[in-house]
Amino acid sequence: MSHVHIETLDQSSATLTLSLDVSLYPRDVLYAAAYVFLDRAYVLLDRQDARFVVRFRSKRPLDEAGFRAFAGEFENELLAQALRHRVVDANQRIIEDVVAVAIAGAAAGVDPGPGSTAAHPPFIDPKDPDDGFLDDPLEIARPFEPGKQGTE
Amino acid sequence: MTPRDADTVTLRLHRTLYPEAAIAEAATTFEGLASFAIRTDGEHYVVDVSAIARDVGGDVVAEFCNFALANSARRRRGAHA
Repeated sequence: MSHVHIETLDQSSATLTLSLDVSLYPRDVLYAAAYVFLDRAYVLLDRQDARFVVRFRSKRPLDEAGFRAFAGEFENELLAQALRHRVVDANQRIIEDVVAVAIAGAAAGVDPGPGSTAAHPPFIDPKDPDDGFLDDPLEIARPFEPGKQGTE
Repeated sequence: MTPRDADTVTLRLHRTLYPEAAIAEAATTFEGLASFAIRTDGEHYVVDVSAIARDVGGDVVAEFCNFALANSARRRRGAHA
């Protein structure tokens, strides 16, 4: 049995109303699934007691089969977003650790200032002209178009 | 969505699903196309949309609803980040 119930389906006004149990899908999942359909339909969310009500008005004409397919796609999207939500929750700590390592790596070239507890010195010393990318013995940074080579 | 007269439409947006700031942001986006008055009525925000521009393509009120929903979703996602 489907967890999403078709409340109304009106081809003449191109509207479809669905309802779903609030205990089955968190609000974030409902937002994410509805967001996916914003380019195809006008979407209005509501809540009646223990059910979310989702009203769609299609931006293009659909027959009844089209509307039923639309409802099925929405239900699939709810499931996909619920799984995504669950994976993010389960891996939140790992995601935060990876981002922290990436930010720490990117900040390694920045002068940490006095009192910093940085674990290692910067990879490039910006005060040393012989260190890093300022030295260009192979003239890699020099433009090769004739008009843009400068006078050096 | 309830049409009150030819030029006014009343929307009821549930307060648990549409934060007031998200509605206000959408109203600001559409301020050149209609006038918006937001008030509270029980579990809903009631939005009276008036002076709706008729000389633009598309449905201003329905697009406003989509913007309010998109803003609500973005704010919710931002709050979690």
